[in-house]
Amino acid sequence: MPDLSVTFAGITFKNPVVPASGTWEPLDAPDTGLAMSELGAVVNKTIFKEPRAGNPPPRIWETASGMLNAIGIPSAGADDFIKKKLPKIRKHADKVIVSIAGYTADEFAWLAKKIEQTGMADMIELNLSCPNIESHTSWSTDPALLAQAIVAVKKAVKLPVIAKLSPNVTDIAEMCLVSESSGADALTLVNTFRGMAIDIKVKKPALGNIFGGLSGPAIKPLALYAVYTAYERVKIPIIGMGGIASWQDALEFILAGATLVGIGMYTFVNPLCMRHVISGLSNYCSEQNIEKLSDCIGKAHPAT
Amino acid sequence: MPQTVTASLIKIITVLHEPDGYIDLILYNPSIAKNAGPGQFVMMKAAPVNDPILPRPFDIVDTFPREGTFRLLIKINGRGTALMNSLKPGDDVFITGPLGKPITDFSFSSCAVLFRGCGAAAVLMFIREAKKRGITVYGIASAASSDKLVCKSEISALCDEYLVATDDGSLGLQALGTEVLKNIVEGEGVDRIYSCGGGPFYLPYLMEVQDRLPVYLFLESYMGCGVGHCHGCAVPKKSRPGDPVQYTLVCQEGPLYKLDEVEDPCQIYQ
Repeated sequence: MPDLSVTFAGITFKNPVVPASGTWEPLDAPDTGLAMSELGAVVNKTIFKEPRAGNPPPRIWETASGMLNAIGIPSAGADDFIKKKLPKIRKHADKVIVSIAGYTADEFAWLAKKIEQTGMADMIELNLSCPNIESHTSWSTDPALLAQAIVAVKKAVKLPVIAKLSPNVTDIAEMCLVSESSGADALTLVNTFRGMAIDIKVKKPALGNIFGGLSGPAIKPLALYAVYTAYERVKIPIIGMGGIASWQDALEFILAGATLVGIGMYTFVNPLCMRHVISGLSNYCSEQNIEKLSDCIGKAHPAT
Repeated sequence: MPQTVTASLIKIITVLHEPDGYIDLILYNPSIAKNAGPGQFVMMKAAPVNDPILPRPFDIVDTFPREGTFRLLIKINGRGTALMNSLKPGDDVFITGPLGKPITDFSFSSCAVLFRGCGAAAVLMFIREAKKRGITVYGIASAASSDKLVCKSEISALCDEYLVATDDGSLGLQALGTEVLKNIVEGEGVDRIYSCGGGPFYLPYLMEVQDRLPVYLFLESYMGCGVGHCHGCAVPKKSRPGDPVQYTLVCQEGPLYKLDEVEDPCQIYQ
């Protein structure tokens, strides 16, 4: 059996496959056969301090090889998550990455601290980039705000902190550098690309929120570019995601420099996609006589 | 949520292209055949292509547990369903299901079931279950014309009375389905009304009559996954003025809702 384990920000994950935040809800959805324990880590749908209802419908719209969404991160809030969900995730998952967001830097820090105090999280991911909440992308499109949020969280907690960034910027590598110099221990690249569709039947925007975030295979080359260019500029490790639909796609991200890979929208297409990616990577390593998958990380870059 | 959901490639046993514009499929999966209840659906992706990418929801029309098979009726009305036109026996399709909340409340003695077009596919199992429990069922089928009536023989055989309303008068009454429904409500009388399809046409009467007896809707919504991961199929729940809006996921809590549980069904009930 090839070794699929990877070390990411000082923590060893048994394999590199994780769900993109907000795309896999093992506690709420009926069981389709994929266990939390199969994955490198479980990542929750982003929680805010207070409950959120989410955006008005329609919330999703199919596009060419992709999907627009404007879900608006519904959740029952931090207390409910910590009381009802986190203990179950901790019990079943191998590693736990808790995704949080706030409306102010203080709120990010407060929530990160609260999560750390539970003792049930291995890492904290800061969702600095949801495109579907008013003004929310400004965290990762404005370098000063980005630094402010990360610095505040890093002051508040000892757990490793991942900054999940938006691709809706001129140069994402610059924002990666800002994150690194602000103390982020790792990066998640990328959140969705802002987009829209018009429903020609009614001559109106297709999404209730008008604008949404594009995900799925349509964005894979764009996301891969972000990971590849960031890998050349920063030393902190990367969770690569954006349109991964197969083990081959995941391997591209690893070769581009991702240590962990996130599956998002494709879980909607096939609820067992993450399992198939894990087994596909394992088979690939066996066939290629690769003992450790981690040797592949960043291998697409010229040798230095 | 302790529910056994299958997610796998499933073999197609038979394909019928009737009535015109529909594909009638029998598929083999003993687990779905055994576990599916009335009101439930499956997500189906007919080909491993990325455009169109999402699976599509289809009502489980009927199950045949002894044979290990179940039936889907697909109305061809878009790119996803157009691809399904070339399906043939022996083909494998990716199916996730059964999904949605099975209908278990049969605590009434009579009901009228109003359905339009392929809404028939959603109500057939419900009517079968109601009849098993001795409930009197008035089936009211509505369509643009008689050739657009689906599952006609199955539903008419099950119902105590089967009434037809067509827009062009080619069969039954030339009227809206709700006019036939009104005759039953005001004549024989029923305990409950169930309605599927025909939203903008049916809602004015359904909204009016819900003060007198409970009205239930089979809701449809855009679905990404059908399972509950994507939160795409949310519809707003009825809230009091000033209260914050709350949503319900049709894939998990639906598809059946009491009319007064959901907000502004005219917009979402199509």
